[in-house]
Amino acid sequence: MTQQVTLNIDGALIRAAKGTSVLDAALDFGICIPHLCHVSNIEDIGSCRLCIVENIVNGRSKITTSCTLLVQDDMMILSNTDKIRRLRHNIAELLVSEAPNSRAMQDIALRCGVEETRYSFRNNDCILCGRCVRACTGEFGVKPLGFVGRGKDRRVEAPFNLRSKLCNECGRCIDLCPMVMPACDGPMETGKERLCGNCESKLSDTDLTLGYCVGCYFGEGIQCQRSPINV
Amino acid sequence: MQNTNLDSILESRRSQPHQLIEVLQDIQEQHGYISEETMATVSEELGVPLMDVYSVASFYKSFSLKPRGKNVITICTGTACHVRGAKLIVNQANAQLDVAPGETTDDGQFTIEHVNCVGACALAPVVTENGSYHHHMDSGKLRKLIKSLESKDTEENSND
Ligand code: FES
Ligand code: FES
Repeated sequence: MTQQVTLNIDGALIRAAKGTSVLDAALDFGICIPHLCHVSNIEDIGSCRLCIVENIVNGRSKITTSCTLLVQDDMMILSNTDKIRRLRHNIAELLVSEAPNSRAMQDIALRCGVEETRYSFRNNDCILCGRCVRACTGEFGVKPLGFVGRGKDRRVEAPFNLRSKLCNECGRCIDLCPMVMPACDGPMETGKERLCGNCESKLSDTDLTLGYCVGCYFGEGIQCQRSPINV
Repeated sequence: MQNTNLDSILESRRSQPHQLIEVLQDIQEQHGYISEETMATVSEELGVPLMDVYSVASFYKSFSLKPRGKNVITICTGTACHVRGAKLIVNQANAQLDVAPGETTDDGQFTIEHVNCVGACALAPVVTENGSYHHHMDSGKLRKLIKSLESKDTEENSND
């Protein structure tokens, strides 16, 4: 039998199986911690940093990504404090300026309260969340896709940039990519890029029902900051 | 010749994925760079997916994926060296050899590279030339260094 632990997330006592991540436990309970690179049932690498929470240990708060933090008995997690919101705001700002031409990124920024960015738009096609890399199983479990280079030269590529024979064309990488849904021309008019937030994507439906989580799953887990507890 | 060489490097390391970095280091040292074919062979022999070999090889600055010149000049552009004028040295090298960092001269004699800190900050700015360190460099010293390497090469050639 799997061992159960009890932890406290934003004041709610939650029971979760040992070995699950704090993020999963929170999402199962209905606390939407915004996240981007996390995809359920796939190992997490914590690359987007959006899912940060405060973990209170001996009265001191540590900021960590909840997707890579495993649940433990008597944990104290705060996912929606001023500090977290401020930090998350900045992370979302950085992410959206990296790739404002994705609707998912525009929506995430909006949900984290970013209305304008202090950074210049880079219009990249990839934000290195690594969803595709981790979801890819390839033929015989050998991946045809991975991270190449490091630092600012890091990118997702197949070996030598050739399409590999190992790709079995399942299309999972494309399904999970937050970049596949381009933002409409409005905010992305060349030379006049801006953050808009008026997209009619599925995400925006929740704006009509204030404070109520409609359980949308746009992009399978690019979540909003709205949770029943914030009301 | 390269193949026998590769064989001896891989000898007794076959099917041991954890040997990847050591094997790549030896290849780098003996061939001067890691070619796509060698990566494919390494991947097969060690049982590591080609993707992982490529990721590792492209991650570390000390592995080069392109053939390098006979003389490799590595200019440190780490914090300490930057502050003490690494930029000027890079410019000097660029102008003198007419190649950008990371590239090799057309005659295959020189490759310029830059790294972030070689761990000798007290001696900044540092330039390493084929593995030997030169401290407190400035553009004048670098010019002389390159000149001497050039003349050494022509001497060797005329002796042949
Ligand atoms: S870092 Fe946790 S979801 Fe991206
Ligand atoms: S910065 Fe050049 S040696 Fe450290």
